[in-house]
Amino acid sequence: MLAIEGLSKRFGGVQAVQRVDLQVRQNEILGLIGPNGSGKSTIVNLVTGVYAPTEGRVRLRARDITGWAPHRVLAAGIGRTFQSIRLFGGLTVWQNLWVARQAQAGAGRLRGWLAVDRAGMKRIEATLEFCRLLDRRDELARNLAFGEQRRLELARTLTADPEVVLLDEPAAGMNVAEIEELRDRILTLKQRGKTIVLIEHHMELVMEVAERVAVLNFGEKIAEGPPARVQDDERVREAYLGKRRD
Amino acid sequence: MTDLALDVVQQLLNGFLFGSSYALIGIGFTMIFGVMDKFNLAFGVTALAGAYTALLVLHLTQGPLALLFPVAVAAAGLVGLVVELVCFRWMPRDYPLAPLMATVGMLFFIDEVIVHGTHGRPMAFPAPMGEVMMDVGPWLLRGDLGFMFLVSLGVMGILWTLVYKTRLGLATRSVSQQPVAAQLCGISLVRVNAAVFVITGMIGGVAGVLIGSAVGALSPLLSLPLTVKGLVTAVLGGLGSIPGAIVGGLLLGIVEYEALYFFGIGYRDMVTYLLLFVFLVFRPGGLFGQTRH
Repeated sequence: MLAIEGLSKRFGGVQAVQRVDLQVRQNEILGLIGPNGSGKSTIVNLVTGVYAPTEGRVRLRARDITGWAPHRVLAAGIGRTFQSIRLFGGLTVWQNLWVARQAQAGAGRLRGWLAVDRAGMKRIEATLEFCRLLDRRDELARNLAFGEQRRLELARTLTADPEVVLLDEPAAGMNVAEIEELRDRILTLKQRGKTIVLIEHHMELVMEVAERVAVLNFGEKIAEGPPARVQDDERVREAYLGKRRD
Repeated sequence: MTDLALDVVQQLLNGFLFGSSYALIGIGFTMIFGVMDKFNLAFGVTALAGAYTALLVLHLTQGPLALLFPVAVAAAGLVGLVVELVCFRWMPRDYPLAPLMATVGMLFFIDEVIVHGTHGRPMAFPAPMGEVMMDVGPWLLRGDLGFMFLVSLGVMGILWTLVYKTRLGLATRSVSQQPVAAQLCGISLVRVNAAVFVITGMIGGVAGVLIGSAVGALSPLLSLPLTVKGLVTAVLGGLGSIPGAIVGGLLLGIVEYEALYFFGIGYRDMVTYLLLFVFLVFRPGGLFGQTRH
C-alpha cells in the first residue's frame, strides 16, 4: 500500500533519517516507535510532503509521490495528524472540518461554488459524532480542552477520507480513559478499511493495536516485526534502556 | 464651540475620511503578511502602477473617467501576480530574506519604470469630486474625501464577504493560521498565495485611483510614502489583522491631519513615525495583534 524505499533526510550536519525502508500493507496498523529524536516524525513529514527527502522514494499503491506538495499527497490518499496540535484556532470545530471538506470538493469549479454540499455536511456531522465532538461544533478550536483538540485533529484528518492515516503521537498528553477511547477509535478505523501508521511513545497502546511494529533509532530502522518479537529484540531494549555493561 | 475646537474636529473629519485610503493600502500589507508571514514592500508601488496604467489608458483612449477604476484594478491585480511570481514563488525557499529583498528590488524597478515613462514629472490626475464641498453643520465635507471613504467602505464590504463568506476566504484564513496543516487539509498554498496577491493588488488599484484623485496628481515620489504608510498602518493595526489595518489606517489619517494643523506639513511625517515607535515600544502587537494558533 505505502512503500518507503531508502528514505534519507539530512538537515545541515544532522542525518535525521538514514536509508529507511518500510512497507505498510493495506488495512494494517503499523506501529512506528523509537526514542525521542529517532526520526519518526521526520518520516511522517517526508511522506506527507512537508519536507523533501535527500534520498529515497515514497510510493502509494506503486505510484511515486516523492516530493509532492502536501495537498497533492492528501489528494492521493494520505492524511495525518500532528505531534504538536495544529488546529485552525480561530475557526470553529465545524469550520475546521469544513476547510478539509471544501478543499476536497473541487474548489474553483462553478458547480462546486454554487452547489450546497449536503453530502459534505453529512460527512462532517458523522465524523464529529465518531470523534465525540458534535456538541462542540460551534466552539472555537482554541477554546477546546486538550483531549478535545486531539480528537478534532483526528476528525479533520478523517474528513478528507484518506486511505492511509498517519497518527503522530495521538495519545500524547491524554489520560487513561482518553487513551482507551483512542484505542477503540483506531480499531474502528481499521474495521472501516483504513490503513494506519501509529507513531507513539505509549507502548501499551502500540502493543495492543499494532499488527507489526517498526523501530527507529538515530534515524535508522533497527527492528521490524510482530509486537511481541520486537519487544524482546536486544537492539530495541538497548535503544530504549541503554546498553548493558559487561 | 471655540474656533480651535471647530478646527480640530474639521481635521479629525478630514483625517478620518483620508485614512480610509491608508486602510486599503494597509489591508494589502497585512493580508500578504497574514498568509505568507512575509512583507511585500512592493505593494505601495503596485497601487501606484495601477493608477498610472489607468491614467495612461485614459489618455490613449480619451475614454470616460469611469474607466479609471476597472483599468487600475485589473492592472494592479496583474502587477500583484507578477510580484508574487518573481519575488516569492520563484525565490529559493532556503533563504528567508530573499523575498523581502526581492520586493525592495521590485519597488525600485517599478518606480524606475514610472520615472522613465513620465520623465519623473508629476502628472495631473482627474479629480471630478475635487470642487465639491458640502456643509455639515459648522464643518466642511470635502467631496473627494467623502467619495474616497464611500468607495473604500464598498471595497471593505466586498473583501469582508470574500474572506468570511467564500471558500477562498476560508482557505485564506486557515492558511494564515496554520499553513502546514492547511496544506494537509488539501489546500494549495500556491493558489491561495496567488489569489491573495491578485486580490490585494486589485484593492491597491482602487486605493491608487482614490489617492491620485484626492491629491489631483500622480508622481513617482508617492511610491515610498505609500509603502511606509502602508507598513505603519499594518503595524498600528497589528500585522495580519484586516480589522486592525482598517482602524490603523483611520487612526493614521487622523493623526496626520491633526499634526498638519498643529505643527505644519514639515512635521507631519515626523509625528507619523513617532507614532510608529510608540506602538512598537508599548504595543508591538498593534491594536488587533494576532498570534498564530
